[in-house]
Amino acid sequence: MKEFNIVIAGVGGQGILLAAEILGTAALKEGLNVRVSEIHGMAQRGGSVISNIRMGEKVFAPTVLEGTADVLLGFEPIETLRNLKFTSENTFVLMNNEPVLPPGWATKMISFPSVEEIIVKISGFTKNVVVMKAAKLAEEAGSILTRNVVLIGGLAATGRVPTEIGSLKEATCELVPAKYKKMNMRAFKLGYEHVQKNVKPMVF
Amino acid sequence: MPNSRVLLQDAPGKRVLLLGNEAIARGVLEIGIGVVTTYPGTPASEIGDSISAIAAEAGLYMEYSTNEIVAVEVAAGAANSGVRSLTAMKHVGFNVAADAVMTLAYIGVKGGYVIVTAGDPECYSSQNEQDNRFYALLSNLPFLEPSDPQEAKEMTISAIEISEELELPVLLRPTTRVSHTRGPVIYGRLTKPNLKGEFVRDVRRMVMVPSNARPMHVRLLEKLERAREISEASPYNRVVREGTGELGIISSSSAYNYAVEAADLIGLDVGILKLGMTHPLPEKMTGEFLKKHEKIVIVEELEPYLEIQVKAIAKEYAPNVEIYGKTGRLYFPRKGELSTRTVIAGLAEITGKESPINFKKIDEVFSEILKDLPSRPPVLCAGCPHRASFYVIRKVTGENVIYTTDIGCYALGIAPPLNVGDILVCMGASIGTAQGISKVTSKDTIAILGDSTFFHAAIPGLVNAIYNNHKVTLIVLDNLTTAMTGSQPHPGTGVTGMRGSSERILIEKVAEGCGVKYVKVVDPFDIKEAATILKEALQHPGPSVIVFRSPCALMVAREKRRKGAKTVPCEITEKCTNCMACIKLLGCPALILEDKKVTIDEALCMSCGLCVSVCPYNAIECKGNS
Ligand code: SF4
Ligand code: SF4
Repeated sequence: MKEFNIVIAGVGGQGILLAAEILGTAALKEGLNVRVSEIHGMAQRGGSVISNIRMGEKVFAPTVLEGTADVLLGFEPIETLRNLKFTSENTFVLMNNEPVLPPGWATKMISFPSVEEIIVKISGFTKNVVVMKAAKLAEEAGSILTRNVVLIGGLAATGRVPTEIGSLKEATCELVPAKYKKMNMRAFKLGYEHVQKNVKPMVF
Repeated sequence: MPNSRVLLQDAPGKRVLLLGNEAIARGVLEIGIGVVTTYPGTPASEIGDSISAIAAEAGLYMEYSTNEIVAVEVAAGAANSGVRSLTAMKHVGFNVAADAVMTLAYIGVKGGYVIVTAGDPECYSSQNEQDNRFYALLSNLPFLEPSDPQEAKEMTISAIEISEELELPVLLRPTTRVSHTRGPVIYGRLTKPNLKGEFVRDVRRMVMVPSNARPMHVRLLEKLERAREISEASPYNRVVREGTGELGIISSSSAYNYAVEAADLIGLDVGILKLGMTHPLPEKMTGEFLKKHEKIVIVEELEPYLEIQVKAIAKEYAPNVEIYGKTGRLYFPRKGELSTRTVIAGLAEITGKESPINFKKIDEVFSEILKDLPSRPPVLCAGCPHRASFYVIRKVTGENVIYTTDIGCYALGIAPPLNVGDILVCMGASIGTAQGISKVTSKDTIAILGDSTFFHAAIPGLVNAIYNNHKVTLIVLDNLTTAMTGSQPHPGTGVTGMRGSSERILIEKVAEGCGVKYVKVVDPFDIKEAATILKEALQHPGPSVIVFRSPCALMVAREKRRKGAKTVPCEITEKCTNCMACIKLLGCPALILEDKKVTIDEALCMSCGLCVSVCPYNAIECKGNS
């Protein structure tokens, strides 16, 4: 397999590290070589967070090179936009439609683009864009904290990752606390079905 | 950390996805290390944390020591009693430990001893990005640099073996991109740790008075020669690619990963020498590699540590070889972390080849997008008690006070609207710098630091303030944990690394015991009381200490989740005039604008009640806070 690169972008506290670990674990289950890069500490306190998942025999570097992401999984619109440099016209973008306003926007009267503007801008780079309301589905599943698993479910439904649904589910079950397993499986299913229903399946 | 238990599986051959730091913890279990000490610090924290979670079950001893030098001393005592030991810390923590390490190098060890010092190129969560490889030259100790999690585990094991062969501590240096990268790790067998040591008196070897230190220094230099032989034969130093052309690359650590991918992307025919044991360098192996090539590119992060030494080796082995790196002309940045991109740029320039990706174009296009995009720096969490503390401090002191600050979440207080923090150097420096400032300016000076930092490095500074009668106010923001690095316990918590309990050491008692005459404890959310106390403290003629005590919001949230208690978010009522005082004064991430109206983000609000206290119209209601 040629390398497969996923960039996850969002805001500290949205559950990005777990999402990355799920994707990495699922890949390992299928015998793939994998690297997942994370940033801890200072960067997690509500700041911009990105994580990279790289799969493939020849993968050494844990970080994705500009212009080479196969998938950009955006947990937040502004952060998705901020990381467009990793995409090309072939990149598939799955974006959560849940803006988190950057600090200082009120006191310093910073303006920021609306979700609609962001979608237009992203579409200028790649036509493969799917937007989903993960927060709403997560709440439906039982907790906003499952938004990461909703997005993983959504990603699974696009068929745009080289890992099987089964491994993704298994990895999720292994990595979430036992008592939240059911809730997370609901979240996975809701995300999966939402994308399946509303988005045309992609062919590789 | 949900998967610490995974580390305990006795399943040789199993492939597990581990964080570099977890892989080091697995190495601890496979080579049967008996004593693990640490002071938490990003990017090293998960080494100690993973061990702490399973120490009792694994049958080893683990402690969070008060600081890095104590951690080294405790482990040095154990290792010199024959028990295998490991100490983990971040790169700057090694500065604190250095006094012990430099002389321990003379004394050596009996049981294997590894000191992990995790580097942070790019300062992701650090005050500097110093290159600790130079400590290898300074201390004369063997030095290992893993490039991925698998190697991190293997090198932990090898470090113990080398340490026992040479009777020397061995330094192991992952960086952020190794410590915080997950990769497949193949398990080996577990070894039952041996915790039973015996201290055999040997005054000449172990008591470093001058007459003993002189011969032990000679002994260390002899060991270094043996270490060089080990390095020549080390599986971590090897030519991974022969190449048929004139070009050769020498690289180590995460830089090696970028170098391999960059060379392939450009399509270079290169020989690659990968170095994992980078002190002492394998002189012969390096020399032979130099001889085979006309041009050598050194790809390394931060300082030209390898390059300086390779140039010296070249003088002897291959005086005509051209060496490219970052002494003289800069082909790679000397600051920050490298990436496949920066290595492609350097290699393209050196070889005159084209970069396969048009980065310039990408930059042009994206600078357009990034132009208007607001940045998103980290902020204090919703419900964070430090926000209340900073609000009180600001309210009482206004503009005319100097705030010296320190290492921890509270460094985030420098951001608007709180704006508290005028100088930040290193752990414990706030109390020291405050004294110099107050001495030579006529301004009131407030030193700010956290509870864990207080125990780590502030006590000598506090004693100095009393001894030399400096009129400073020390505010200890006591959130009952080491929050920034992932909620580790410390001496003030009454919890140990073994997850047992111990005597809680109270900061106020320590301050009183040191001789501070004005010592008060207050909850920062009790704004009126906290403000009164702060005013009093500033009036006090000598040094004063206030402990602002309230638990970390993340800890409170975790505790609530554990108990199944729900947080009822605060609500904005119709009395709200949209004056935005709450937003402007506090900058709480849960206070947001929705359709231009002040709103509380229910998912984020911790119901701390701080905004209730600052609203001039009593328009915020805090209903049940269970
Ligand atoms: S300070 Fe009070 S009145 Fe003013 S906007 Fe905030 S909630 Fe409304
Ligand atoms: S009560 Fe107010 S200050 Fe506290 S977390 Fe909620 S919104 Fe923020």
